[in-house]
Amino acid sequence: MISEIAFSAIRISTPLIFAALGGLLTFQAGILNIALDGFMIVAAFASIGVAFATESLLLGVLAGVASSMVLAALLALFNLRFRAHIFIAGIAVTFMAYGLTALLLKGVLNEEGVFSSDRIPTFAPIDIPVIRDIPVIGALISGHTLLVYIAYLCVPVVAWCLYRTRWGLRVRVVGEAEDAAAAAGVNVERLKFETMLLSGLFCGLAGAYLSLGYVSLFAKQMTNERGLIALAAIFFAKGNPYWTAAVALLFGTATALSIRLPQLTGLAPQLLQLIPYVVTVLSLIIVGIRNTRARHRHGVWRFEI
Amino acid sequence: MSTEAIAPPRPGPPLRALLRPVVGPLVAIVIATLVGAALVAALGQNPIEVYSTLIEGGIVGWPNLSVALQMTTPLIFTGLAVAVSFHAGLWNIGAEGQMLVGALAAGIVGYAVPLPPVLHVPACLIAAAFGGLLWASVPALLRVYLNVNELVICLMMNPIALLATGFVATHALKAPGPTNKLPDILDSAVLPNFSLFSQLNAGIFIALACCVAVAIVNAMTVRGFEWRIMGLSPRFAYYGGVNVRRNAVAVMLISGAIAGLGGAEQVLGVYKAFYDNFSPGYGFDGIAVAMLANSNPIGVLFAAFLFGALSAGSGVLQMMTGVSKYLVQVLQFIIVLVLAAQFSFAWLFGRKPAKPSARVSVARSVEERTGTEKVG
Repeated sequence: MISEIAFSAIRISTPLIFAALGGLLTFQAGILNIALDGFMIVAAFASIGVAFATESLLLGVLAGVASSMVLAALLALFNLRFRAHIFIAGIAVTFMAYGLTALLLKGVLNEEGVFSSDRIPTFAPIDIPVIRDIPVIGALISGHTLLVYIAYLCVPVVAWCLYRTRWGLRVRVVGEAEDAAAAAGVNVERLKFETMLLSGLFCGLAGAYLSLGYVSLFAKQMTNERGLIALAAIFFAKGNPYWTAAVALLFGTATALSIRLPQLTGLAPQLLQLIPYVVTVLSLIIVGIRNTRARHRHGVWRFEI
Repeated sequence: MSTEAIAPPRPGPPLRALLRPVVGPLVAIVIATLVGAALVAALGQNPIEVYSTLIEGGIVGWPNLSVALQMTTPLIFTGLAVAVSFHAGLWNIGAEGQMLVGALAAGIVGYAVPLPPVLHVPACLIAAAFGGLLWASVPALLRVYLNVNELVICLMMNPIALLATGFVATHALKAPGPTNKLPDILDSAVLPNFSLFSQLNAGIFIALACCVAVAIVNAMTVRGFEWRIMGLSPRFAYYGGVNVRRNAVAVMLISGAIAGLGGAEQVLGVYKAFYDNFSPGYGFDGIAVAMLANSNPIGVLFAAFLFGALSAGSGVLQMMTGVSKYLVQVLQFIIVLVLAAQFSFAWLFGRKPAKPSARVSVARSVEERTGTEKVG
């Protein structure tokens, strides 16, 4: 029972980890990308649409990633070139994506709320030879599908890129002190654009996983605010890839529990679903108190954080 | 929207001065219409037919019009709530959550507290306003006293509100029966309905009154002036002697209270009970309304009616043609995206656009654009 929940927690956390990695890169570059949900829903739709049309999983995932990156480029264009406020543009892009996918769901696939088909191939679970035989962990780690492993393997890769490469250093400098980075000759806009595109890439994988990874199904607004939970994980972990992934896993576990526990105990699922948001608000309060105490208090209210 | 967007009107011919606030929204609407037409054409439908169905379904004939007005009412409330905060340079995007909490408060007072009809509706409205105010107080106090970005808090407070009210409606105070809702409100708490064809109710007058009240406060009182200055430049307002902190809290609380009233209108007028997850995103549509209205309370009325009529028309559209009603949502947020972008329409007025690379403004606009610095 417990191992079953843990297994599904790893699975449920997969899109969260993808999305969190995507959001984290822009976060490190000083952009709070709240359009993760929008990127994901578009990718989920494109993935299942193309996989349905071509009966190829690879093409489906590629289409999802591509569409998500196009949307990311659109957001980056409006934010960086046309100077739209990132939050407003992000909200606009997200809801546009929700609307667009629902519109195309009806217009192209001719379904009202949910689309699924037998023609869509599914990912085969992968049994890892040696690990499979380890008593407890083996049953948890082995037997997931490809995208799950990719998600968890991306965490160290992203961490390496951020902390061990010149590009990562520049990204972090841009996030810390944009003017200093610009003065040092870093092309700030370009770097931000790159992180936004990578954000699109990861959210594309998240979306592809949502629609193709476990059950082949698309429902309107199926991201179910996973982007927001991912964002909460990023905030809670202050953008560190490993911690972010760990917190995302934690939040994913809470979600897995909220699906299973009510069946057993009669507990309200909402109370567990609340956890990521409440934890984030509380952590922001703690960080706020700490910062306020630490900061030398000028009379002027800093209006522009 | 940055402070640069609201440049003080320069002396010029009065016609231009009159046209200026309308040009941006009109351009955005035209762009959205064109993109929407391309989308519709790509789906193999006739754009002209689709748009005419949309307009006809939205406003032609009293049945359609009354549905449009019914859809307009919550958008006025949420749009006004968002507009009040935008006007003062604050970003209350939590209208959705504030509305849900307000609706819950109205729903509880509506069924649990028996009062004579004259008192019951006001009691529900006050409860709703207080609920919204309470929900807005979290981002407001955090913003002002702990310097936490109110956007992030608002964003998180929305799902918290949805889940918490959902918990109340599905477990704590659930009415007997299969539906996830509170018990029906008492007859004494119902806002009178005056259309056979829709749930259009007296709440729309409350919405109108709120708009007028905010317009009067903005135009005629010291407070309104202070809020406007804060929106233009909080630093300037501070040095000018405005108590920025207290005013910011007040603006956020008022904004939340208005959103809460919107929830009351839905519960008392439309649904006659609090239903779990009743809002199809009115709080977020409110952002679109406020953007289109350029945070002007009277403009909110027109913007809300535009989106309300479109959304009423979209229902008809879905029935009559094969096009999904979500076309309207796409149009709506294309408008927001275009309005959020600071395109220069200066060429329309025969002036050269400001160079975007002007170094002076870059540092400041960078702060504004990125929305936040890393917390901690």
